[in-house]
Amino acid sequence: MTLLQFDEVRFAYGETVVLSRVGFSIAPGDVVALLGRNGVGKTTVTRLAVALAHPQRGEVIVAGETTRGRQPEDLAGRAAYLFQHPDRQLFARRTLDEVAFGPIQAERPRADALARARSALHAVGLEGHEDTHPHDLSATDRKLLALAAALAQTGDLLVLDEPTQGFDRPARDLVGARLRDHAGQGGAALVVTHDLGFVADWCDRALVLHDGRVAYDGPVPDLVRDQERVRVLGLRQPPAARVSVALRLAGQPVRHAEVSAALVPRCRDG
Amino acid sequence: MTIVFDRVSFTYPGSREPSLHGLSFHAARGQVTLLTGLLGAGCSTTVLVAAGVAPRLLGGSVEGDVTVLERNPGTAEGWRDLAGRVAVLLPTPWTQLSGMTFTVADEVAFGPANLGWDREEILDVAAVAMDQLSVTHLAQRDPATLSGGELQRVILAGLVAMRPDVYLLDEPTVELDPEAADAVYALLPTLAKTAAVLLTTTDSDRAVEVADSALYLESGQLVSAGSPCDVLGSERVVAAGAGVSVATLFRDAGARGPYPVDVAAAASRWMTA
Amino acid sequence: MTVGYLPGAGFLHRAHPFTAMAIGGGVAVLAFLLAPPAGPLAVLALGVALAMAAGVWRVLIPAAVISGPFWVFLFAIHGLFREAPLTALGLSARMTASIVAFLLVIAVVHPGRLVEALLARGVPFAAAYLLAAAIQIVPRFQNRARAILDAQRCRGLRLRGSPLRRVRAVVALAIPLVLSALAEVDEHALALETRGVGTGKRRTILHPPVDTPLDRAIRWAVLGVLAVAVLVTYP
Repeated sequence: MTLLQFDEVRFAYGETVVLSRVGFSIAPGDVVALLGRNGVGKTTVTRLAVALAHPQRGEVIVAGETTRGRQPEDLAGRAAYLFQHPDRQLFARRTLDEVAFGPIQAERPRADALARARSALHAVGLEGHEDTHPHDLSATDRKLLALAAALAQTGDLLVLDEPTQGFDRPARDLVGARLRDHAGQGGAALVVTHDLGFVADWCDRALVLHDGRVAYDGPVPDLVRDQERVRVLGLRQPPAARVSVALRLAGQPVRHAEVSAALVPRCRDG
Repeated sequence: MTIVFDRVSFTYPGSREPSLHGLSFHAARGQVTLLTGLLGAGCSTTVLVAAGVAPRLLGGSVEGDVTVLERNPGTAEGWRDLAGRVAVLLPTPWTQLSGMTFTVADEVAFGPANLGWDREEILDVAAVAMDQLSVTHLAQRDPATLSGGELQRVILAGLVAMRPDVYLLDEPTVELDPEAADAVYALLPTLAKTAAVLLTTTDSDRAVEVADSALYLESGQLVSAGSPCDVLGSERVVAAGAGVSVATLFRDAGARGPYPVDVAAAASRWMTA
Repeated sequence: MTVGYLPGAGFLHRAHPFTAMAIGGGVAVLAFLLAPPAGPLAVLALGVALAMAAGVWRVLIPAAVISGPFWVFLFAIHGLFREAPLTALGLSARMTASIVAFLLVIAVVHPGRLVEALLARGVPFAAAYLLAAAIQIVPRFQNRARAILDAQRCRGLRLRGSPLRRVRAVVALAIPLVLSALAEVDEHALALETRGVGTGKRRTILHPPVDTPLDRAIRWAVLGVLAVAVLVTYP
């Protein structure tokens, strides 16, 4: 079963066609990057995926069920959405209640909801802040808090809009590792981002939107290695990939960890 | 010197620990100065203190001397003298719209108009600024309908149009796609020809390409300062996770510091090996 | 449903802001001056016609939503008395006409142009800004509320159900609305400062709204109509 499927989806705002024919599917275990220039319709895809919008033609299917005639709250147990600016969703007086909100809305027993919340807070490094007021956290921690809320809300589909925007490397890697954990436990993630370095390090697959269609749907390394294609799609080759190409590393890895591993012999000699 | 911090400490209201500890540095006209560090190291706070927002609007307490263009921006009088000369860009562009303009063109002209310049001159500088930030095609749009990326460039254009002597930029490209971010970074040296540019960002890969000097902060303290290559390729900075990607790659591969900060430097050192 | 400025190029959009406000104000006052129920009903028809002619018929939707309860309430009360339905009709028409006029004005007068018009007449910047902000507060809060509602629904918030559940839902919506607005106040103040607001310099008016002889004639005409209405109603 797929966790998210777009079949020939068309979506327009009035006269402006944003998506003319978009199709792809995401299975459990996938961490998929959604790439493309500003204004190309990435946010529209994410809103369609959680039933905040509905296609004018075609079908969006979440965990085996169409979103047609369904509302975001109907899907909340199967799909969680991390907004680009999470300040607009935080409301509880302490972080623990904030994260437990999703599970409680899904009518899980309170003790179970709180346990999920504690473990999600721990996963994003916010353990010890259970009683902190969300607005007393830094902007980065508030975003991690919203990620914890999404993790606690569903084990299935995560849809994340720029989850690492403004993050430094350690925070970025924390988010990447949590997405991998989530996928490893049978979930999946669709990540909108401009950071091709993050994509190379943490995503298996990339979808690139261009002119209302999916211009690329395939493995991340094939995309990232191809400097010309990366440029045409308005992206920027990440430094690890450029090093890999410039130093003609065997197998042309693009993931940070793989590139540095491939560099070990040279660094020992040099 | 355009911006001078002399043993500056700053404590946010309600906080016991200071966020900046005895910070001293200066930034000069003609240069892009990069302020870097992990999140929470105090870079954004430094921008707010340099802008005088802390303590003037946010409260809190400052020790030491903050001097921008020979004035103290943290006092009402100092800021009044600096009006129009210090441009501040925060990473939340939607809070920085004037809310009083009808079109992007007017939004960009808002600052110069407040300074009382001639109408013709304002229209000229606004047109140039819109061109520099590639937002000319948006000129007749209602600013309230722009995307985050468009908005961030429009706000920056509005600041550029004021021809300030100081730019304080906190994550100036956080809302932008890679091409637009590259274009903004490429513009910074041009802006620095007539101004001091103090930049803080977690995107050190781009920043290292345009910065003339770098300051590295940890826990509100200045730990190292110097050329961007020296700072962002140094053992301490790279080990902390705040270095550029290329340097981090080579440190992780077991090379000895100082590390190369760009692909060309790495290639020249290891290609033959 | 949007309350606030609607982009357009109809005759009221092109008119001087004071003219559009005079017309809107005239409609609202006239609805209360003329004898019910025929007078207010005619004025209401005039307001609706103006909205259609100005290309902002969409203001009629929120106007209907806002004034609907008045109609129900007034008819319910007056239904208790004989001959009262006509009174109810008059009152409801008055309310609705004023609401239409108000929404019409904020739909066609962009705060930016109003501010320019006020500044061109020598009104202080702070006063002009406060007015612009007050006009915009409703649409701004609406957009923000929509974004917050979206976010909370994605987390499973249901607006229906038991009273307790509904109270919780309102809290989940209202708190981010207020907190995020408060958090942005300082940043907005800084943004205005950094763009030269409050320097005490005389602001350059970029596009002083053109006040044509026709604009002035229309404003006098509105005043004339109101004067005649007063004389007719209170002879």
